[in-house]
Amino acid sequence: MFTPVFSCYRTVQFSYEGESIVGIAEFFQHLMNGLTLGGIYALIALGYTMVYGILKFINFAHGDVLMVGAYVGLFLFDLLRGSSPLGLWTITSFFLAMIISMAFSALLGMFIERVAYKPLRKATRLAPLLSAIGVSFILSNSAAWMFGTHSRKFNYPFDNTPLHLGEVVITPHQVLILVVSLAMMIILKLFIDRTRMGKAMRATSLDQGTAMLMGINVNRIISLTFAIGSALAAVGGILIALDFKVYATMGTMTGLKAFVAAVVGGIGNISGAMFGGILLGLLETFGVAIFGIPTGLKDTIAFGVLIIILLVKPEGLFGKVEKEKV
Amino acid sequence: MKKSLFVLLAILAVLSFPAFAQGGGEAASPKIGFMGPMSGDYANYGVLSNNSAMLAVEQFNAKGGFGGKLPVVLVTEDSEGRVEKGLSSIEKLSSSDKIVGLIGPVLTGTSFAVGERVQNEGIVMISPSATHADITNIGDYVFRTVVSDGLQGEVAGHYFFDKLGYRTIGVLYAKNDYSQGLYEGMSTAFKAAGGQVTIAEAFNVGDKDFKTQLTRIRSANPQAIYIPNYTAEMAQILEQASQLGMKIPFLSCDGFSNPDIYKLAGEFTDGVIYVGPAKVKESPAFNTFVSQYTAKYGVGPDSFATNAYDGTNILLAAMDKVYKASGKFDRKAVRDAVAATKDYPGVSGTINFAENGDLVAYQGLYKVNKTTPEYLGTFTVVDGKLVQID
Amino acid sequence: MFNFFLLILIYSGIYALMALGQNIITGYGGMLSLTQAGFFAIGSYATAILTTRFGWSFWGTLPVAFLLSALFGLLIGLPTLRLKGDYLAIATLGFGEIVRNVLNNWDSLTNGPMGIQKIPMPILFGYTINPYKKYAFLFMIFIFVVIAYLLFQRLARSRMGRALTAVREDEIAAQAMGINITKYKVSAFILGASVAGIAGSLQATFTLSVTPGTYTFMVSVMVLCMVVLGGMGNFKASILGAFIIQFISYFPQLTGLSGSIPAQFQQILFGLILVVMMIWRPQGILGRETRRYGSASGKSKGGAQ
Repeated sequence: MFTPVFSCYRTVQFSYEGESIVGIAEFFQHLMNGLTLGGIYALIALGYTMVYGILKFINFAHGDVLMVGAYVGLFLFDLLRGSSPLGLWTITSFFLAMIISMAFSALLGMFIERVAYKPLRKATRLAPLLSAIGVSFILSNSAAWMFGTHSRKFNYPFDNTPLHLGEVVITPHQVLILVVSLAMMIILKLFIDRTRMGKAMRATSLDQGTAMLMGINVNRIISLTFAIGSALAAVGGILIALDFKVYATMGTMTGLKAFVAAVVGGIGNISGAMFGGILLGLLETFGVAIFGIPTGLKDTIAFGVLIIILLVKPEGLFGKVEKEKV
Repeated sequence: MKKSLFVLLAILAVLSFPAFAQGGGEAASPKIGFMGPMSGDYANYGVLSNNSAMLAVEQFNAKGGFGGKLPVVLVTEDSEGRVEKGLSSIEKLSSSDKIVGLIGPVLTGTSFAVGERVQNEGIVMISPSATHADITNIGDYVFRTVVSDGLQGEVAGHYFFDKLGYRTIGVLYAKNDYSQGLYEGMSTAFKAAGGQVTIAEAFNVGDKDFKTQLTRIRSANPQAIYIPNYTAEMAQILEQASQLGMKIPFLSCDGFSNPDIYKLAGEFTDGVIYVGPAKVKESPAFNTFVSQYTAKYGVGPDSFATNAYDGTNILLAAMDKVYKASGKFDRKAVRDAVAATKDYPGVSGTINFAENGDLVAYQGLYKVNKTTPEYLGTFTVVDGKLVQID
Repeated sequence: MFNFFLLILIYSGIYALMALGQNIITGYGGMLSLTQAGFFAIGSYATAILTTRFGWSFWGTLPVAFLLSALFGLLIGLPTLRLKGDYLAIATLGFGEIVRNVLNNWDSLTNGPMGIQKIPMPILFGYTINPYKKYAFLFMIFIFVVIAYLLFQRLARSRMGRALTAVREDEIAAQAMGINITKYKVSAFILGASVAGIAGSLQATFTLSVTPGTYTFMVSVMVLCMVVLGGMGNFKASILGAFIIQFISYFPQLTGLSGSIPAQFQQILFGLILVVMMIWRPQGILGRETRRYGSASGKSKGGAQ
């Protein structure tokens, strides 16, 4: 069995005089942590990658739609659940809340597209990007204004007592995250590859002009893309909220990192997004745990990876090189 | 295009007229300022402390104000937790409002910058929560009604070693002035007593996932883990530690005194021992304050808000003394009166200021018993030795 | 109250420098970079560390801030050249965050989250330019802004300005015409970076302390807002934009309404400005500069003087 043995560099000013060898149990624990973190990134990256695939545009506001989805989900869940103890009703109300939140977020996504991005389709590259940054600001600050800046607890609808697998401890929720991301990815892939709508989406992403000529309602396809992406974001937001609470700025950093994941995997590529997400989660966890990167610099790992990928293989690990035609 | 530009500038100019018009109309009613983060990540702390200041001012004016007839006006400025805004706030408070004294700032970083300014201008400043050891060294106009990190860290370190019997401790702290200051203070004291900090992990402000750091701490297996952080992060830490199946007991700081922690972390708080404000035994004044505060604002005060209440009252008392003696509110005189405060009966205890503006006080130790904090005792450190007062 | 207004002017001046730099990169070069916060931080800390640790005078630290930021501008500019708009934005934003994180963690050099205090006030010929008494300081900032403006204006009219415009409009065509896009793009980056570094120096010596928390990507976005609002490719406009945005920022405090207007409101306003300007008036309030020989960009309606 492969036991990684690394010496940890001094990570803090007051160096600790303890063990500096990572044991098997700890390694697997880090692995679990990294995988679940990656699962979250993957889920959100799917939304980014879809929109980019069709519109060649990064929706900066995607992370904030995630936040809205979480808030909506929270209010609905608390409302529906009432004071019931953990059980069938809590699980049912949780899924109800999630579905309604998905619908709401889908509508929100479509609305944003219509108001802030559609008018800029013919404008310079810069314009929709700036507009997206603006939307992101509006969303996160409006939420802070309306709901306050403190975190709110999103209670688990089920008993989240950790399970012990030997010395590795995971929670049912972590498993849920992985299962949901995988499921979403598969469903999405099937949708894109096997259905007519999916085909239309692929056509639009290849060449909008020709797709229009072929009778595809491009506007509707774009709206649909945003709707699906936003709904996925809502799911991601709710799952994240269970572990990390709901607050107005929850979407920003996670959104950025999910974007990095999408790029690493190959933007526009669904399986790439999944892969990129998991990879990033693992890199962040292991980077700190094993390679001795100071925990204070955890965030830099994501950006560092981004820069490296953009330099070495800008189309991403699974992407195709796109020749820029004159 | 030139025209629209002019129109725009004209509009802006007109809009700022009320600002210029403000002049020195109300020279009669003295003003004091409160500065804290009313928005942004730390808004909770600013709002809670501001509530105290408002309550204190209200009660003072209800009793007639200065000399029985002159009310005091409180001007609140939002520092947003940013140094830039803190400086512009003090600019406004100092030159436009001409405040006689300042309660705040709440955060250490802002306090450093604003402290320099008030020292330069000669306005007395009482912070309810800036705990970094060096703050009162800025000058003789800077005071605080919160115990300095220096003392809190010392008491923590010695208590953990002497009373709890720990020999190895792990730390999970945030890279911000408050948390890092406490970590360094505790660490120095703990080591001086003979203990070992076997692992110290850090995280960035804004991080919510601590599983990596906790996993490493779990492997290092210290006897206890010290988490000197703000409420939201600590709630996360406690929950995630439980999710990792960790059973190591947790130790914390005065940030744990915020009642929000029980809302966010629930039963995970059981068993946590933390250093907080010293409680005067059977203090009816404290209980009265808490019920008045809660009745008015719907939430309970945290320890910083309690300090803010005392700080405001001390300032008002000093101003009253000066007014009675001279009929005016000279900034320097007010400062001197604040410094001369002796055995002030505050709701957080008897208050005295040290030579450098620090609070001469003690720390309280608490243990959480199923979401209710129980008081363990009052302590301080004298000559490097832990001394129990109560 | 007038003092407060001077404060706004001073901050406007400092940010105007950054906006001018942003204008070169984005307005002329067409590159969406969100780096200014990073260079701002580098300049500030350079001044802070050199003056407090090594006793340098403020004026001595200026060239260091300038060169250091320029160096980082080069380091960031070179690898990110190939990146298209969207990726460049994120990569540059990442750079800003990396700088802030490093500053927050490198305790031995930067004092970590505590920041550096007691930065000395600048002294010129024995006269202390006191930030608390604003007039002299404002005058100093004013000089800096004027110099930067004149230099950049000159640049825009020169070969570099024309080359950048060509690159912005159509990179492949420009390359085909023999323009060395690498050279010009990187130069734009370096210029934008160094002026932000100077702004950082000035900020440090004005606030007399630095903390990592000041240099978030909000700063970069604000600077971008300023350029967008004023008018991309127009230096006068950048300065105007800086003033307007700062005015909005401090408006509640200026008029004493800070109790009723929460900080989020301003940020929402900035967001709205970005969206609305892009849709309704992408050329900004003042529009692009027109050139003597006819409009090369076709977007200069509204900019004619």
